Amino acid sequence: MELVLRAVNLKGGYSLKSSYASASQHEIYVDAVSGVSLELLRNEIFGIAGESGCGKSTLIKMLYGYLEPPLVLKDGSIYLYTKEGKEIPITSLTKEQLKKDVFWRHVSYIPQSSMNVLNPTMRIRDHFAEMLKLHAGMNKEEAYKEAEKYVEHMGLPKDVLAAFPHQLSGGMRQRVVISLALLMKPDLILADEPTSALDVINQQAVLTMLRDSQESFKNTVVIVSHDMGVHGVITHRIAVMYAGRIMEIGRTEEIFEDPLHPYTQALIKALPRLGDKAQRRGLSGHPPDLKNPPPGCRFRPRCPSYGSQCREETPSLIEVKPGRYVECWLYST
Amino acid sequence: MYFATIFSGITLTYLLVKAMPVDAVENIIFGLTQTIAGVYDPESINKLRRDLYEIFGLTGKSPLEDYLIFIRRVFTFNFGPSFISFPTPAFELVLRRLPWTIGLLSVSTAITWITGNLLGTIAGYFRTRRFTKVLESIAISLYPVPYYIMALILMLLFAFLIPIFPLGGGMSVIPEGLSLDVILNIIWHSLLPALSLILPGALGWSFLSSRTLTLEVLSEDYTRYAEFRGLPGRYVLRRYVLRNILVPQVTVLALSLGGIFSGALLTEVIFAYPGVGSLAYRAAFAGDINTLMAVLILSMIAVSTAIYLLDLLYPLVDPRIRYR
Amino acid sequence: MPALSFLKSIGKNFIFLYKNNFKFRLGFTLIMILFILGFAVSPFSPTSTRTWYVVPRDRPPSLEYLLGTSSMGRDVFWELCASIGKSLTIALITALIASHIGLFVGLISGIRGGILDRFLMFISDTFIIVPGFLLLIVVISIIKSWITIPLLGAIISIVSWPWPARQVRSMVLSLRERTFVYTAKLSGMRTGKVLLFEIMPYVLGWHLVNFTNTILFSIGTESGLAIFGLSILGDNTLGVMLYWALNYYALFRGIWWWITAPIITLVLIFISFYLVSIGLSEYLHRIIG
Repeated sequence: MELVLRAVNLKGGYSLKSSYASASQHEIYVDAVSGVSLELLRNEIFGIAGESGCGKSTLIKMLYGYLEPPLVLKDGSIYLYTKEGKEIPITSLTKEQLKKDVFWRHVSYIPQSSMNVLNPTMRIRDHFAEMLKLHAGMNKEEAYKEAEKYVEHMGLPKDVLAAFPHQLSGGMRQRVVISLALLMKPDLILADEPTSALDVINQQAVLTMLRDSQESFKNTVVIVSHDMGVHGVITHRIAVMYAGRIMEIGRTEEIFEDPLHPYTQALIKALPRLGDKAQRRGLSGHPPDLKNPPPGCRFRPRCPSYGSQCREETPSLIEVKPGRYVECWLYST
Repeated sequence: MYFATIFSGITLTYLLVKAMPVDAVENIIFGLTQTIAGVYDPESINKLRRDLYEIFGLTGKSPLEDYLIFIRRVFTFNFGPSFISFPTPAFELVLRRLPWTIGLLSVSTAITWITGNLLGTIAGYFRTRRFTKVLESIAISLYPVPYYIMALILMLLFAFLIPIFPLGGGMSVIPEGLSLDVILNIIWHSLLPALSLILPGALGWSFLSSRTLTLEVLSEDYTRYAEFRGLPGRYVLRRYVLRNILVPQVTVLALSLGGIFSGALLTEVIFAYPGVGSLAYRAAFAGDINTLMAVLILSMIAVSTAIYLLDLLYPLVDPRIRYR
Repeated sequence: MPALSFLKSIGKNFIFLYKNNFKFRLGFTLIMILFILGFAVSPFSPTSTRTWYVVPRDRPPSLEYLLGTSSMGRDVFWELCASIGKSLTIALITALIASHIGLFVGLISGIRGGILDRFLMFISDTFIIVPGFLLLIVVISIIKSWITIPLLGAIISIVSWPWPARQVRSMVLSLRERTFVYTAKLSGMRTGKVLLFEIMPYVLGWHLVNFTNTILFSIGTESGLAIFGLSILGDNTLGVMLYWALNYYALFRGIWWWITAPIITLVLIFISFYLVSIGLSEYLHRIIG
C-alpha cells in the first residue's frame, strides 16, 4: 500500500486576542487539533467523521498547508508523497512556495459552502482557463479547448462554460468546484463537507461524481462530513474525531458493523437502520470547551464506560488489529 | 426616474424662492438700478419686473398657475436677461461657460476615480506595509478638506511660493481657432484647478471607499479561494478584487457627483477659471438672480444627466444585471 | 433612574474611547483647543475685531502681533480667535437642526416603510442630486442683506439633513431585520417602545457621528459661501477672513499671514472633527458589528 500523506502529531488551533471591548490583551487559544497522526493511502476515499466543532475542518486546512490567522500550527509535520515519488514537506514550506509548486497540482481543497467560491464577474470557462494557464502553461485558446473536453469528461453540460456563477444552481456550482479541484489531477483532494448545503438529489450527484472520478483517476479523496450516511455510501476508510483528537480509524464496513470506541458506538447506534424499529438514542452532554480542555481522555465526561485511568492520562492511538486503530483505555493494557 | 428627480429639484427651487419675502423683487431692482445706473430705460425695467414676478411666483394669480408659469419658463429655457451682461440672456451666458466646467469636471473625476480605485486596492491588499499606513494618514487628512481649501493651498504653494503655474484664467490669449498650441495652453491653465480636484479625491473619498470595499472583498469566499488555488497576488488583486469593487464604486461615484460639482464651483473662482463657477460668483456679487437661477437649473440638469449616464454603465460592469 | 445611568454609560464609553483610540484622542484634543481659543480666549481681545484700523496695517508676525496684522488694520490672531468662535457657532446650529431632522426623518422612514418611506427618500434624493451649494448661493444672494448668524446656520441645514436621514434609515432597516427586534415586536411590544428600547441605543451612536459630520459640512459650506461674498461680511467667521484676504489680494501683495492663518485653522478643524468622527465609527463598528 503506497502512502500519499503522512501527518505526525499535529497540534494547532486558533489564537485569538480577547475582544476590544474588555481592553485587556491576553491571548485565548482554542486547541482545535491536539496531537493528530494520520497516514493516507493512494487510491482510496478516506472519511473524517465527527460532530460539529470536533476539529475536522481545522485538520483539513492544516493538511492542505493553508494557515491563515488566527489558525496556527504549533507542532507536528506533514509529508506529501507525489505519484512521481517526490516527498514534499508541507509544514516546512512557506505559503509562497506552496502556492507555486504544490497547491492544485499535488493537493487540492474543496471548501465548505462552495456556493460562493466562484468569482461573480468571471465566466466558468475562465475559471478553468486561469488554472490551466497558471499550472499547465497553456494560452487562452488551448485552455478553452481543454476546458471543454474536461467538462464533458466530468459529466457537466457544455453550456456551463459560458455561464456566470449566479446563473447556475447551487448543486451545479458545487460540481463545477469539484471539477476545478480535479483539473490538474492532484494526488490528494481534501473536501470539507461537500454535501452539507445540498438537497438529497444534488448530494447524490456530488457523491457519484467524487466516487467515479476517484475510480478513474486513482487518487486519494478525503471527505470531511458530520453525516455518517455520506461515509457509509462512499468511503473506504474512516477516522472518527472528537474534541481535537482521533478516536478510531478503520475500514468503513468494520466501523459500521463493529465500532470499538464508545463514541463511535454511540454514533453508529444513533443511525436509523432498515427493519430496526427500536428508539434511536443519542449521546447526552456536549463536547468540551476547547479553550480549557479536560484532563485525561477528552471523551470521559460523556463516556458511558469510563474508568479511573481515563481522568488521569490521555490514551494514545493504538493498532488493535491490522489497520484498526483505537484511542481508548478499554483497549490498551 | 431621471425626469422625476429633475422635476422635483426644479420644484424645490421654486418653493424655496417663493418663500422669499415679497419685497425681495423690489430690492433686486433697486440694487440693479444702483449699480448699473443709466443702462436701463423704464420699459426694460418694467419688463424685468414682470419677469421677476413670474420667477418668484408673485404674479398674483392662483398658486398653481404661478407654478405652471415657472415650469414653462424653465422648460423653454427662458431665464430672462442677465444683469451682469444686460441684455444678453442668462441662458446664453451659462451655455457659453458650461463646456469649460463640464470638461474640467469630467476629466478630473475620471482621473480621480481611476487613481483612487487603484491606490485603494493596493492599500487594502498590502495593509500591513508601512507605505499604506502613510497613505491612510494622508487620506484621513485630505478627505474632510473641501476642494477649495485644497485649491487655496495649491495656489499658495505652486503659484506663489514656487511660481510655476499661472495664477488664473482659462488661457493666456483669446484663441483664433483650435490649434495644438491653444489646446496645450488650455491644458496648462487647467492643471492646477484639476489638481485641486484630483488630489483630495484620489487620496480622499475615492481612495477611502475603494480601500474599504477592497477589505470587504478580500474577506469574501471567492477571493480566499483564489489564493487557495495558487493564483499569484497581483493577478488576484486585478481579476478578483478590483473587478469586483467596480460595481459599488460606480454607485459611490454617482452619489458624489452632486458634491463634486458644488466643490468645483469655488475652485473655479479661486483660479479664475472661465466656467460656470466664476459666472455664479460674478452673478452672486451683482445680485443677478436670473443668471443664478439659470446656473442652478442647468447644473441640476447636468448632474442628473451625468448620474443617469452612469446608471447605464451598470450592466456593463455587473454580469448579474446583464444576464438576469 | 434611567436617565442617570444613561449618562453614566455615555461617560464610560467616552473615557474608554479616549484612552484607547489614538485618532479620537488626537481629534478631541484639537477640538478642545479650538473651542477654548474660539470661546474662552477670544472675549479677551484687547482690540476690537469688528472695527477697522485699530492697529497698524500689514505688519508681519512678531512678538507684539502674534500672527501679524491685516490690511484692514486688525490683529490677525484675535480676529482668528473670534472667527473660530463664530464659525463653530454656525456649524453647531446647523448640526443641531439638520442632524435631528435627519434623525427624525430616518427613523420614521425606516420604521414605517411603505409609501411614506419612498416619498421621504425621494425628497432626500432630490437634495443629493441638486448641487446644494448652488441652491444656497441662490437663496442667500436674495436675502443677504438681513442674514444673521443663527439664520445662516438654519439655512445651511436645509441642504445638510438628507445625509443623516439616509444613514439613520439604513441603520434602522438593518436593525429591523435583526432577530431581537422581531422578537420584541412579535411578543407584543408597541412600535413606540420597540423604537425606544431596542433601536435607539444603536442609532444614538451613529447620530453622534452624523452630528460631527454635519459640523464638518457646515463649516466647509459657510467658508465657501463667504468666499462668494454670501456670508455675514461685517462679522468674523473663518470664511469671511478668507473673503477679505482674497479681496485685498493678500497673496499677491505678500501679506501671506493673513490668508494662511484661516486656511491652516480650517484644515485643522476639518481634520480634528473627522478624526473624532472616524474614531467614533470605528468604536461603534466594533461593539455593534
